[in-house]
Amino acid sequence: MDPSRYAELFRTESREQLSVINRALLALEQGEAMREPVDAIFRGVHTIKGMSATMGYTAVAEFSHELESLFDKVRAGDQMLSPDLMDAFFAAADALEDGVEQAREDAPMTASMKRVLERLNDVAGGRSTSEFRVVKPSDVLRITSEQPVPVEALDGPGMLITVTQSANVLLPGVRAFMVIQRLRAVGEVAAAVPTVDALQAATTPQRFRVRLVTSAGESEIEQAVRSVGDIDAVTVERREGSSAPSATPVAPGGERRAQGRRVTDQLGVDELGLPADKGATPRARHVRIELSRLDTLLNLIGELVIVRGRLQVLAAGLHAPALHEAMADATRLVSDLQTEIMTSRLVPVGQIFDRFPRLVRDVARQLGKDVLFAIEGKEIELDRSVLDEIGEPVVHLLRNAVDHGLERPEVREAAGKARAGRLTLAAQRDRSSVLIVVRDDGRGIDRARVLARAIEQGLVDATTKTLDDDTMIRCISHAGFSTAETVTDVSGRGVGIDAVQSKVRALGGSLEVQTAAGAGTTVTIRLPVTLAIVRALLARVGGERYALPLTHVRETMERGPATIRQVQGRDVLVLRDEVMPILRLRDVVRLPMGKDEAHEEIVVIERGDRRAGLVVDELTGQEDIVVKSFDAVRDGASLFSGATILADGAPALIVDVGNLL
Amino acid sequence: MAPTVLICDDAIFMRTMVGDILQQAGFEIVGEAETGTQAVEKYKQLRPDLVTMDIVMPDMGGIDAVREITKFDPKARVLMCSAMGQQSLVVEAIQAGAKDFVVKPFQPSRVLEAVQRVLG
Repeated sequence: MDPSRYAELFRTESREQLSVINRALLALEQGEAMREPVDAIFRGVHTIKGMSATMGYTAVAEFSHELESLFDKVRAGDQMLSPDLMDAFFAAADALEDGVEQAREDAPMTASMKRVLERLNDVAGGRSTSEFRVVKPSDVLRITSEQPVPVEALDGPGMLITVTQSANVLLPGVRAFMVIQRLRAVGEVAAAVPTVDALQAATTPQRFRVRLVTSAGESEIEQAVRSVGDIDAVTVERREGSSAPSATPVAPGGERRAQGRRVTDQLGVDELGLPADKGATPRARHVRIELSRLDTLLNLIGELVIVRGRLQVLAAGLHAPALHEAMADATRLVSDLQTEIMTSRLVPVGQIFDRFPRLVRDVARQLGKDVLFAIEGKEIELDRSVLDEIGEPVVHLLRNAVDHGLERPEVREAAGKARAGRLTLAAQRDRSSVLIVVRDDGRGIDRARVLARAIEQGLVDATTKTLDDDTMIRCISHAGFSTAETVTDVSGRGVGIDAVQSKVRALGGSLEVQTAAGAGTTVTIRLPVTLAIVRALLARVGGERYALPLTHVRETMERGPATIRQVQGRDVLVLRDEVMPILRLRDVVRLPMGKDEAHEEIVVIERGDRRAGLVVDELTGQEDIVVKSFDAVRDGASLFSGATILADGAPALIVDVGNLL
Repeated sequence: MAPTVLICDDAIFMRTMVGDILQQAGFEIVGEAETGTQAVEKYKQLRPDLVTMDIVMPDMGGIDAVREITKFDPKARVLMCSAMGQQSLVVEAIQAGAKDFVVKPFQPSRVLEAVQRVLG
C-alpha cells in the first residue's frame, strides 16, 4: 500500500463527507425534515471515523467518534435539538474539517477540538464529560451475565465442546455467536455456558462450553468451530448417552447438513458456468486520476492541436493524395481525442456550489440577515481548472450580496419586501459558454449615487452622464469608495469586485452587472466551458493577426454597401431590424489606417444583450487555439486575454472580445 | 481463474483499500457499490464469488442488502466490514446471512484470513 495515496484519498473523501454533513446540518436547521439529514450526518461522520482510524489519525477518529455517538442519540430520539446545539454542531463540523486538513498520525486532539466537544457536551443537556470519552472496544455492550450459570445443563447426552478464543479476537461476542451458529448447522445446541445471549454480548475473548446433540463426528465438529476463525483451541468429548455416529437421517441437524453438502456441489457447477455469464455483463468501472495527469494530457493535446494545424498547412502545399487522406484521418482522431480529454475534465459545478449554503448561512447569521438561498443548475459542467478558479470569485459575490445587497429584515419590511432576502446562485449553459449568475433581491446599486460619488472623487470625468458596467465596477471597487453605510469585515476591504472581474477575464470570461435601485442586483459571469483550448475566429488587420474566441461571437458577414450607415455622425451597423455600434479592430489596437478598406468583414460580437459590429480587414478562418494566458492587467483596460501560437507557427494575440463591449 | 469480488462501501477510501488488499492477493474486483440497493443490483448482475459489505450505507444499509442478496442467492458469500462498536449489528448481519466479518481499521492479513474462511 502506498500511504500517501491513501492520505490523499482520505482528505478528498473526508471533504466530500464534510460537505454532505454541512448540507444536512442546514437542512436540519431549516427543519425541512429530521430523519434524512440526521442519517446523512451520522453516515458522514461514521465514514470519516472509519477512514481516520484506518489512517491512524487518532484525533480525527476520536473526535468523529464523539460526534457519531451524539448523533446516534439524536437519531434514537434521545437528544433534543436546539438552536444552540445546532450552532455547536456547525462548530463541530468546522473543527472536524480543520482536523481532517491537519490530520497526522497518532496526533492527540487539539485544544480547539476539545473545546468544541466541551461546548457540545454543555449544550447537549449537561451530561458529564465522562460520557463522551471514546468508547473502547471493551466499553461496548458491557452486559454482565450475572445470571446463574446453568452448568448442570451441560450434563446430558451429546458432545461437550470447549472453545477458547484467541487473545486478539475482535468482536469476540460475534465470533462466539458464529460458533453457535455453525454448531447449529451440525446439530442441536442443547446448552451453552455462558448462555448464548451472554456470549453474543461478550466483549473479551471467551472460553465457553456447548453441549451439542448431533450425529456428527468429532473432527467434523472441530472443523465447524474452527471455520469461524480466531479460535485458539477446541476440544470435543463425547458424553455418555449420546448416540454413536450413524446415518440416522432424523438426527437433529442432520438434514440441514445434507443440504449444506448439496450447496457445495452446486457451487462447483456454478463456478464452471460463471465465465459465460460474466462476459455478457457490462461493467461500469471508475478509477481516480490525479488532476495533474489530466492537466498534462490537456497540455499535450494542446501542443498536438498546434502541430496538427502546422501539418495541415504544410500538407496543403503538396500534391500527395495519400498524404491528404492520412492527414484527414489524423485530424479527425486528434479532434476525437481532444473531445475525450475535454469531457474527462468536466465536473458538475455542484462540486463547489455545495459548500456555499453553509457559507451564506454563516455570513447571514453574522450580519443578522435573513436569507433564502437557492442553488440552480448544479449539474452544469465546467472544466475542472475553470471550476477551481471560479470558487473564490463566487464566494466574493455571495458575501457581497449578503453584506451589501440584502437589507436587514426590518429595513426590508419597511420597504414592503419579505423579511427574508432571496439570494440565488445559478449555473446555465449558453451555447459554448457557461453562465454563473448571482442574483439578489436586495437594495441594488444606485447608479446615480455611484456616479455622483465618482464625479466627486474624480474617478470619472465630470461630464459623464451615465455609468456603464465596467466603469461602475471600477468605481465601486475603488479603495475608499463606498456608498454602503458601514464597512463590515465580511466582504473585506480593498479586494473588490474588480478582483472578481480580472479573475474572470483571466479565464477568458466576462462579467455583467444588472442592477436596479431597490430591486436587487444580478451579476453574471460568462465562462468558456473549457479553459485551455477554445475555438476562435482568426482576423487580419493590416499585417497582424488576432484571435477572436467564439464565446462572444454571434455571426459574421461581409461588409456590404448597405450594412454600415451613419447615424448622428457615427458609424452604425444595421442588421435586420437592429442597429448597433461599429468598432474597428484597427482603432482598438491602434494601428494606422490601411489603404484599402473595400474588403472589410464584420464580426457581430455580443455580451448579454449588448452587441456591436467589429470591423476587421479579413477573416482568415477558424481554428482551435491553445490559450496561453498572461497576467491579467488590473487597470480594467486590457484588450487581450492571452496569446496563442497559430497553426502556421505564428504568434497571435487573443482579443478580449467581451471587454470591447 | 481469479475469484471475483464485489466491493460495497459508501467510501471510496474504503473501497480502494479493500480493493488493493484483495487485488494483491490475486482477486479480481468486478464491481463496486456505494449503496445497499446498488449492492443487491450488482450482485444479481455480476454473481461474484465474494461480496465485501459495509454496514452503514445510504439508501439501503448493509444488513438489509445481505438479507436481499441471501434471499436471491442463499449461497452468496458475503463478508461484513464493520467498525468497532457495531457488535450487535454484526450479529444481525450474520443472522441475515453474512458469512464472516472484519473490523475496521483493516489489517490486510486479517482481511485475507476472513476471505479464506468465507471462500472455504
